[in-house]
Amino acid sequence: MFKRSKDILQAYNQAPWRRQMQIIGYIAAALVAISLVGALYLNITARAATAGRLVLYSRREISDAEQRIEDLKTQLAFISSTEVMQQRAGELGFKPLSPHAITYLYVPEYLGRPQGAQLAPGAGSRFGALFRMPESYTQSLFDWVGELFADLGGF
Amino acid sequence: MPRLHSWRYFFSAAVFGLVGVLIFWRAFALQTGAQAEAFIDQSKFYSRLYTTIYPPRGEIYDRNGSLLAGNRTVYEVGVNLASLRGEAPKAIALALSSLVGADYNRVLELIAYGQENSLVYVVLADYILPEKVNLLRNYNAEREPSEGRACSNDPALIALECRQHLARSYPEFDLASNVLGFVNQDNYGNFGVEQQYQDLLAGVPESIWVPTDPNQAEVLPNIPGGASLVLTLDREIQTMVEDVLDEHILLSGAESATAIVMDPRNGEILAMTSTPRLDLNNYQTYTELYDGDRPYNRAVGQVYEPGSIFKVITVAAAFDMGVSYPEQVYPDKGVFSHGGITVRNWNGAAWGDQTILGCMQHSLNVCLADLAVNKVGAEKFYEYVEAFGFGRPTGVDMANEQLGSLRTPAVAGWYPSDLVTNSFGQGLAVTPMQMVMSVSAFVNDGKMAIPHIVKAVVQDGSQYSLSPQYAGAPISAETARTMTNMLADSLEYESSLAMVPGYRLAGKTGTAQIPTPNGTYDPNQTNTSFIGWGPVDDPRFIVFVWIERPESSIWASEVAAPAFADIVERLVVLMNIPPDNQRLAQGQGD
Repeated sequence: MFKRSKDILQAYNQAPWRRQMQIIGYIAAALVAISLVGALYLNITARAATAGRLVLYSRREISDAEQRIEDLKTQLAFISSTEVMQQRAGELGFKPLSPHAITYLYVPEYLGRPQGAQLAPGAGSRFGALFRMPESYTQSLFDWVGELFADLGGF
Repeated sequence: MPRLHSWRYFFSAAVFGLVGVLIFWRAFALQTGAQAEAFIDQSKFYSRLYTTIYPPRGEIYDRNGSLLAGNRTVYEVGVNLASLRGEAPKAIALALSSLVGADYNRVLELIAYGQENSLVYVVLADYILPEKVNLLRNYNAEREPSEGRACSNDPALIALECRQHLARSYPEFDLASNVLGFVNQDNYGNFGVEQQYQDLLAGVPESIWVPTDPNQAEVLPNIPGGASLVLTLDREIQTMVEDVLDEHILLSGAESATAIVMDPRNGEILAMTSTPRLDLNNYQTYTELYDGDRPYNRAVGQVYEPGSIFKVITVAAAFDMGVSYPEQVYPDKGVFSHGGITVRNWNGAAWGDQTILGCMQHSLNVCLADLAVNKVGAEKFYEYVEAFGFGRPTGVDMANEQLGSLRTPAVAGWYPSDLVTNSFGQGLAVTPMQMVMSVSAFVNDGKMAIPHIVKAVVQDGSQYSLSPQYAGAPISAETARTMTNMLADSLEYESSLAMVPGYRLAGKTGTAQIPTPNGTYDPNQTNTSFIGWGPVDDPRFIVFVWIERPESSIWASEVAAPAFADIVERLVVLMNIPPDNQRLAQGQGD
């Protein structure tokens, strides 16, 4: 055992480049580790940025879609307005009723048509309140590691 | 490795190391030095955009969900001055003047102004409809239509930008225009519901910083849109009432007309209109239609001397006090003097012995003046008049409601002669809405329903229904029933033109002289009105009609009463109310 140690020391003394290679190896290993972490960090950051862009783009799409819905609802109201419907009814041969031309029929249990409009959606967007971005899209690697250690420390 | 050259490696390492240290030192100095705050502020400024978000204006629906006021996409057309080249301004001016209707010289002026002041972007036209923008997008027939903000597919118009936004739009044009009001280009409501509910409809614009860094794409604050309103109006009834009024204006040669249809049980206004009506999509013509002090909605914004329809208030007060009853006989001598004035009946004749029912049937001023002066008395008369809501706003949820004009003994300027004229509806001024609210007491067991136009509010996906409100009970339930039956008999006995076969209705005509600026009454012109309700056994509607300055006849019984009948004849169909005999037979069958 003592002889083997002595041999190694002698080898290093005879060829000092071995020690330099060892140091370079350590440094290279450290660089590789840092590069790996950097690549991981870049990868996650790039994905987060892409997702962020998608969020912004989707938000614009939602806004445009809501505007389009508003516009279409109003256009629909134009083509089903009283004046248009009366004209169409007239063209189809319908005439206004007089009260004397009506025969009322009593239908037991029938309560008549529902009174009053029930409108479900409001005019504004409700997606904002429902949508929450996952933390993984916004936290940095350091945040994530910090949280990991904090969780571990909690045990 | 030769030891001889090792210094070079150490030197290189030292240089690079030093550079690295310097970089780190500089970065550290920038982060912590005196300029750090300024740099941080600058970076924050470029990392966000300050934007004001205007929520979409809430919509307005009728009671059955038909859209009365919505939003349409329109375009703002502007020019990106940095992209302007050569003769482009003239090409743009030509295109906009020919396709969009802009003024050629004005466009050139705007562009020149922007260039002189080093602006980046100048708005050339706004509220342009999509159809016109499509003409710009297809301007060059040899190219594909442009998309997005690029406004035109022509290379000469490359600097034109189209930015879309929403603008108020009214699918029914002038229908219910007096009720709805309109929204101007500043997104502010004028008149009617648009003004009354401006804050609710418009929502609250919010100015926020929007991050440009995608990593900061935090959830933007949820800015709720304006609330939508469901009105009590019924589009079909509103259309019918407007059509009938237009017909009767033509028939009578009247200056204008006003009508209200209300559900007396809960104060819901089913229809309300007055003339003129404004095409709300072309509201810029407002100044042409409403010149001078002409009110936008006469039903709430115009006071007038109601004339004989006000007699129902006088009689109701007498009945409620117990000092008179329908069969009480009054010896009509055709003339009555009190407080320094003398009044006569509408035809100047003495009608002899008349019951109170007869007084109402023949609308005798002498009888009513005597009743007010000698039976009711000034103090109680005005107590009842005020209890019926005259002289104060009804509380209807519409903008620009007038109070009316009422002098009482408690106010300086009142004379005993006022009691005489007030008893038959002259010398005081009321709004049509006040008349309708007061009469709702007759069909509601003495309780007055406060009229209202909004039935429900839709906000954040939930609909909030508004419950009916009541403005007190000026008379007892018994008096209310007595009044209704007496006024129904009155119509039947005189074979009024207001009657509708198959339906028992109650009501009263009112022919009122019109005061002139010099304090006298116009001898040739009148205000004719009619207020009625029905069916008497289960009232579902009150209909008020006021036809102003008719030429065919000065009498309400010949002008306003037929208009009332025409409205009711179609109203019972739209409200699905069977004739009395069928309805009552079915009720007995139950």
